[in-house]
Amino acid sequence: MTGITFIVNMYMNAIVYVGCAVFALGFIYKVYCEYYKTPQPLKIPQTPQSTNLSGVIMRMAGDVLFFRSLSKGTTFLFITGWIFHFTFLLMIVRHLRYFIHPVPELITALGGAAMLLAGVLLVSLILLVIRRVLDERTAYVTSFADYLVLLVIIGIVFTGMLMRSEVYRPDIIAVNRFVLELFDIRAPLHMLGMHPAVAPGNVVFMCHLSLVCFLLMYFPFSKLMHSAGYFFSPTRNMVNNPRDVRHVNPWDNS
Amino acid sequence: MANDKTTDDSAQGDSNDANTRVQELIKYVKIKAKPVELTGEIKIPKIKPNSFIDVKPQLLTALEPLERLGYPVGGLVPNWKEVFLKKMDEILKKYRSVKLFLNICVRCGACTDKCHYFIGTADPNNMPVARAELMRKVYRRYFTWQGKLLGSKYVNGSDLSEELLAMWYTYFYQCSECRRCSVFCPYGIDTAEITMAAREILNSVGLVQKYVHEIIDKAQNIGNNLGMQKNAIINALEFVQDELQETTEIPDIRVPIDEEGADVLFVTPSADFFASPHIESLYGYAKVFHQAGISWTMSTHASEGGNFGLFIHNYGHMKKINKRIWEAARQLKVKRVIGGECGHMWRVLSSYSNTMFGPFDWLDSRFPRPQHICEFTLDLLKRGALKIDKTANDEFVVTMHDSCQVARGLEMGGTKYGQFEIPRGVIRGVCNRYEDMPDNTIKERTFCCGAGQGLLGDDMIATRVKGAIPRMQAYSYAKREKGVNFLALICAICKAQLSKMFPTYGIPMEEVGGIHQLVGRAIVLGAKEGI
Repeated sequence: MTGITFIVNMYMNAIVYVGCAVFALGFIYKVYCEYYKTPQPLKIPQTPQSTNLSGVIMRMAGDVLFFRSLSKGTTFLFITGWIFHFTFLLMIVRHLRYFIHPVPELITALGGAAMLLAGVLLVSLILLVIRRVLDERTAYVTSFADYLVLLVIIGIVFTGMLMRSEVYRPDIIAVNRFVLELFDIRAPLHMLGMHPAVAPGNVVFMCHLSLVCFLLMYFPFSKLMHSAGYFFSPTRNMVNNPRDVRHVNPWDNS
Repeated sequence: MANDKTTDDSAQGDSNDANTRVQELIKYVKIKAKPVELTGEIKIPKIKPNSFIDVKPQLLTALEPLERLGYPVGGLVPNWKEVFLKKMDEILKKYRSVKLFLNICVRCGACTDKCHYFIGTADPNNMPVARAELMRKVYRRYFTWQGKLLGSKYVNGSDLSEELLAMWYTYFYQCSECRRCSVFCPYGIDTAEITMAAREILNSVGLVQKYVHEIIDKAQNIGNNLGMQKNAIINALEFVQDELQETTEIPDIRVPIDEEGADVLFVTPSADFFASPHIESLYGYAKVFHQAGISWTMSTHASEGGNFGLFIHNYGHMKKINKRIWEAARQLKVKRVIGGECGHMWRVLSSYSNTMFGPFDWLDSRFPRPQHICEFTLDLLKRGALKIDKTANDEFVVTMHDSCQVARGLEMGGTKYGQFEIPRGVIRGVCNRYEDMPDNTIKERTFCCGAGQGLLGDDMIATRVKGAIPRMQAYSYAKREKGVNFLALICAICKAQLSKMFPTYGIPMEEVGGIHQLVGRAIVLGAKEGI
C-alpha cells in the first residue's frame, strides 16, 4: 500500500464514520430534545382537520406522500418538488443493493429505469434552482444555504450518473467489498489501528461519497430537518377535538 | 425592571441612546393609503421593497396601563438585548410550534403570495416567509450552535440592533395572524404563532403597541374591551331592550343582564352593545332566545367575549381575560355558555378554554362545552323551533365572509367542515338567495378582512385599506357576476373593518351585516311552534 492510497483509504473511512455518526446523533438530538421534548401548550390544528385520529393520520399521509398542502398553493413547485422527492427516494431505495444480500427483486427491477429516473431527478433539481432565481418572491427570501443544498444534491446525482458510463465506472466488486468491510463491527478499530477498509480507487466514486457524507453531516443542522419536523407540526398532527378532549398544557400549573 | 423615570438624566448614556434611536425609528407617522379600483380580480403584485416600512402602529406610553400589565415603562429598557434573548429563549422552550416553525422552513415560496397584506402593499417583508425570516435570523444567530460559533454572517443571521427592533415592530404589526399562509405551507408553518411570539418579545423589552394593550388592560381590569363600567353596560342593554320592545311590539322580549339561574350565559364582543352593524346582530340573538323560549343572560362581569390576549401570545393575559367568563358562569349558576359572533373569541373558547380551565361539566354535564351561537341557532332551525319568514330577506342576495379565526380555527358542530357549513346553514335557513364568493377566497382559504388581531386602530388605516383589497375584489366579483348585495359576517372586527372599508371602496355601508341580523329580520315573533 502506497502512502497516497493509505491516506485516501483513511479519508474515505473517516468521512463515512463521521458522516453517519453526526447524522445519527444530530438527528436524534434534534428530534428528541428539540421537537419531542418541547411542549405544545395549546391546540392549534389548521382547518381542514379531522375530528379523529385516523383522519389526522390520513391527512398527514396525504401531505407526506402527495404534498397536498403544497398542491393548494403552487402548481409548478408542487409538481417539480414532488417529482424530485419521489425520484430521490427511488434512488435511495436502489442503493440498498449495496447493503442487502441477496438483493431483493424490487430493487433489481428498479435497475432498468435507474438512468431514466436519475435523469428526471437531475432535471427537476435544475428546474428548482432556476425557479429560485427567476421567481422574484422566492428569490427575495432565498439564502446561500438554499442553493447549497440543491447544488450538493445535484453534485451527488451527477457523479452517480457519471459512474454508470464505461469510462468512470468503478469496480463494483471493490465497492461492495468496501461497504461490507465498513459494516464490520471491528472496522473502526482496524481504522484506528491504521488498517482502514480498502476504498475503490475511483475519483468519481470518492466525490460521490464525499458529497453524500457532507450532506449527512449537514442534515441535522439545516432546513433538511423538515423531513422529521413535519411529523411534529402542531397545525397538522393535532386532533380537531379541543372541546371534547381536554388538551393539557404541561407548564400551566395555576 | 425598568426605572419609572421617563426623563433620561441617568448615567446610562448608551442605553438611553438606544431608546432614543428606537423611538426615532418607530415614530408614528400618519400615512394615508389610496383604495384601488375594484375589478373583481386579485392580482399578485410585483415586489416593491420597503413600500410599507413607514407604517407603524402607535406605542402605548401611558404609565398606568403599562404598570398594570406588568410591562416596562418609559420605552426601551436599558438592558434590552439581555431581556430580549431571555424572553425568546423562554418562548422557544415553552412552545413547540415556535421552535419547530423557526427550524424547518425551507423557504420554498409557497406562501409568498398568500398574504392579504402582501397582495395589498407589495412590500416583500409582508410575505409570510420573509416576515418569519425576521425572527428566524435572530434564532439562527443566537439559538443555534453554528450561529453562536460563526456569527451572523455565515448563518444568514442578524445581530440584535435598534434597526432590527424597528423592523420587528413594523412588520409583526402588519400581520393579522389569520393563518392563511399556513394552509398552503407544506409543513403547516403558522406565521401567526411566530407573530404572536415576536409581539410578546417586543412587549418584554418595552415596545408595547397601543391599541391592543389598552384593550387588554380594559378587559382585565374593567371586564370589557370598551372599558364600559357596570352601569353603562346595564344602560346600554336596557336601551337595546326598549328598542326591541318598541320595534317588535312584544312587551316581554328581553335582554337580561346578571340574572342568576338563567339557562344560558351569553358572551359576545362588547361592540355588539351599540356599534353598528354589530347591534343588529344583538337584536337577532335576543329574538332567537325569545322565540326558543330559553332563558338567557348576559353578565356585567364577563361582558366581553373578545380576548386580545391571544394576539400577543401572552398566555397569562389570555387566561386572565377568559377567567371572567368562568367566574360569571359560576356566579350566575347557568347551565351552558354560548358565544356570539366574534372570531377570536370563538377560537379561544373552542380551542383554548378547555386547556386553560377544563370543560364546563360542573355547570351541566349535558353541555360540557361552550357553544357558538350559530350552532345553537342552526339546531333550533333544524328542529323547526323558530318560525321563519324567508321573504323578509328577499331584497338581499347574501354571500358570506368566513372570518379567519373561525374558518381556520377549530371544529364547530363536531365536524371537520362545521365552521363553513353551520353559518351557511343558518343563512340558507333564513334567506332564499345565497351565493358564494370565488373558491380561493372562502372557507379555509378565506382572506382576512384586513384589520384582524389588533390592527383595527385608526393608526393602521393604511394597512387596513390595503389589506382589505383581496376581500373587496372578491366581493365586487360576486356582486358583478351574481348580483350579491349583502355580506354576512360572524366577527366583530370584520364588521367594524368592512363597514368602514365598503364606503372607502365606494360600496354602500348597508351591504355589511351580521348573520344574526338576517336571522333577526326573518324570525316571526310571537309564533310558537315546534317547542
